[in-house]
Amino acid sequence: MGIPRRLTIDLDELERRYHELSRKIHPDRFASKGPKMRDASLRATATLTRSYRTLRDPVSRGLYWLELRDEKLADNNKRVPPELAELVFEVQEQLAEMQLSDPEEAHERATEIAARRIELQFKMDENLAELERHFAKWDQPADEKMLTLELKTILSNIAYLRTLIRDVDRALENSKAA
Amino acid sequence: MARIFGIDLGTTNSLIAAMENGEPRVIAVGEKGSALLPSVVAIAPDGAVTVGERAIEMEPHLTIERDGRVSAVGFAGGEYGAVIRSVKRYMGLGGDEIAPEDRARYTFADLSGPVVRFQIGKRVFTPSQISAEILRALKDGAERALGSNESEKVERVVITVPAYFNDGQRQATKDAGRLAGLEVVRLVNEPTAASLAYGLNKMATGNVAVFDFGGGTFDISILSIKEGIFEVLATNGDTHLGGDDIDRAIVDWLIAGLPDTLKLDRHVWNSARMAAEDAKKRLTDATETDVVVELPGHSIRKHLTRDALEQIAAPFIARTLKRCELAVADAKLTPANIDAVVLVGGSTRMPIVRRRVAEMFQKEPLCSINPDQVVALGAAVQASVLMGTQGDMLLLDVVPLSLGIETMGGVMERLIHRNTTIPTSVTEGFTTAVDNQTHVDIHVLQGERELAKDCRSLARFKLGPIQSQPAGVPRIEVTFLIDANGILNVNARDERTGREHSVDVKPSYGLTDDEIERMLEEAIDLGEQDLEERLLISARNDADQILGALRKQLGEYGRLVTPGERVRMDEVVERLEAARTGSDRELIAKLVEELNEVTTPFAERIMDAAIKLALEKKSVEELS
Repeated sequence: MGIPRRLTIDLDELERRYHELSRKIHPDRFASKGPKMRDASLRATATLTRSYRTLRDPVSRGLYWLELRDEKLADNNKRVPPELAELVFEVQEQLAEMQLSDPEEAHERATEIAARRIELQFKMDENLAELERHFAKWDQPADEKMLTLELKTILSNIAYLRTLIRDVDRALENSKAA
Repeated sequence: MARIFGIDLGTTNSLIAAMENGEPRVIAVGEKGSALLPSVVAIAPDGAVTVGERAIEMEPHLTIERDGRVSAVGFAGGEYGAVIRSVKRYMGLGGDEIAPEDRARYTFADLSGPVVRFQIGKRVFTPSQISAEILRALKDGAERALGSNESEKVERVVITVPAYFNDGQRQATKDAGRLAGLEVVRLVNEPTAASLAYGLNKMATGNVAVFDFGGGTFDISILSIKEGIFEVLATNGDTHLGGDDIDRAIVDWLIAGLPDTLKLDRHVWNSARMAAEDAKKRLTDATETDVVVELPGHSIRKHLTRDALEQIAAPFIARTLKRCELAVADAKLTPANIDAVVLVGGSTRMPIVRRRVAEMFQKEPLCSINPDQVVALGAAVQASVLMGTQGDMLLLDVVPLSLGIETMGGVMERLIHRNTTIPTSVTEGFTTAVDNQTHVDIHVLQGERELAKDCRSLARFKLGPIQSQPAGVPRIEVTFLIDANGILNVNARDERTGREHSVDVKPSYGLTDDEIERMLEEAIDLGEQDLEERLLISARNDADQILGALRKQLGEYGRLVTPGERVRMDEVVERLEAARTGSDRELIAKLVEELNEVTTPFAERIMDAAIKLALEKKSVEELS
């Protein structure tokens, strides 16, 4: 996208570039230019859109960074991150209980889970902040292996929290509907 | 290349617009020079088509005769012809997806297939064909209004669609364009189009929410406008929520006391609907009004206050606000940090709508541009962007619904998330499950639910044929691309050979290309409409001839006309010139006759003079 290859990105600059490139290659610019050009611009713009999305979101940016280094998150994801372990098990237990409980209990459980949700979001925000701080470390030459491990850990935490939050949200939706 | 026009193909009214000297302008195509063409299509048993105000007159309803009696008039439906209103509510849907109240309104040929079909007379029509008639009426009306001299043709258009329209509904709209003989250069989302109309001269930078509440659909879009780039951040809506629903609720209240036989009568219902709609409109300014429906024998007369109306409308408006919350959340904003709210669509004229929107966004909504016209105007702006005449302006829209495929266990795996900027694409690898499998089937879905069965089936793609190989060996790369119209395109490539795989697309809802081809051919055969057109054209030619001839004659022999005659001739000429731009061919023929009569003495004198001259010449020749 024409910006330096780093993990910390100036989001405004990124957006500026995205807009600039869009102005040039977007299919709307090629409406009267024949099918071949339209097709080419369509593909190019789709790629541009994908790139922008990947880089704009810190999590996908981090994952992409790993990809560029032939590293994957999948291997680490088998184990629950230790610092989250307690939280994860508790929440999963509560969700299971919610499923089984009768309507009166369910309402109470829902309130409990809602409180958990706030906790989970807090943890998520913590991790996202950690991610941004971590990105800066890559700007200085350092032990790449250690940094990569650290990045994977944070991204792994985020992935777990995401799944949990999604499950909790779904359970809350269902209880509201019931 | 030809100028691109902007079309708002609305549930209740349709419009066509174009840029004139850098400003978007709607074109007057309606009967009384109005820019609004009611999206009502009447099809007579013999296949004759009428669109607009006159079609409304053919809708089954009750009318009061001169002697005070109330009688039922209009096409009764089915084999007696039909008048289709709000066809947009049927676009791109299969029979099983039509809402019950919509299903009850018309006679259908087949409610089981992927495309719903109206039964009218002996013929069957798809919603796209009906919409095509509206498009054709817009095209003809615009061409008439634009050129007596230049005969500018409407060929390339931008058509707007609700932002929340799914793939099938968009495709159906494109099909309608094609059937009308138009090149649909782009589909544009209605709220985005509206923002273009406003953004053109109002705002340079900021977040805008567009609240588009029309006759049949509701959309809320949140955009970021920055130096001419209109970027949609999130969109949400309901393609079956609009003023029509409020009207229906009023009708229910209005006819509550009637026996079932009367309630189900189409004439009664339509008359009640008209009365309800008018009352609703009156209550924009008045705080109370009488609603009257004249039935044979007695009349329904109820009093409706604005408060009561607001209570009736409340649940529908609540639904719109819920969608707003979702969209604002998806855009990662709060209602407070949205800089401006724009109201679009006739239904936003209701005071309660304005109040609720102002409450939610904590600011007065903007409605300075006519809410009925703003979408068409925006479409014209986008048309100029596409023609390259709008400088650096660019529209970046999003896909409203997540797109994915059905995977093992009936789960919907999301490939493209909702509110992703389009065009966008994603590539997935596929392989075979059993040895020597010749084809791979992919089931594509749209929606936000977990299970495939809860999402909307978009299409089934068949990849292949694949060379005989053990299971798991072939690698097919499938690219799902959503184009700038929000429509899915699929390409497949065999990863090992690099060759393109053929993809056979079976849309779950909607017409296949073959079906469209067939319809286009049928349309050419439909003589009736062409006949009327040809007759009109020939009437106009007659008029042109006589006007042209008269002009010449006056030029040469002007001295042979008395002042009195001249005055009378001019008067008829003026009326004929006016009639010529209209479509009443009988009026044109009548005026041509009249002009003939008035100019007869003049013509005779010219003859005399010519003969005299000829004789003189002859004598000179003879003499020499």
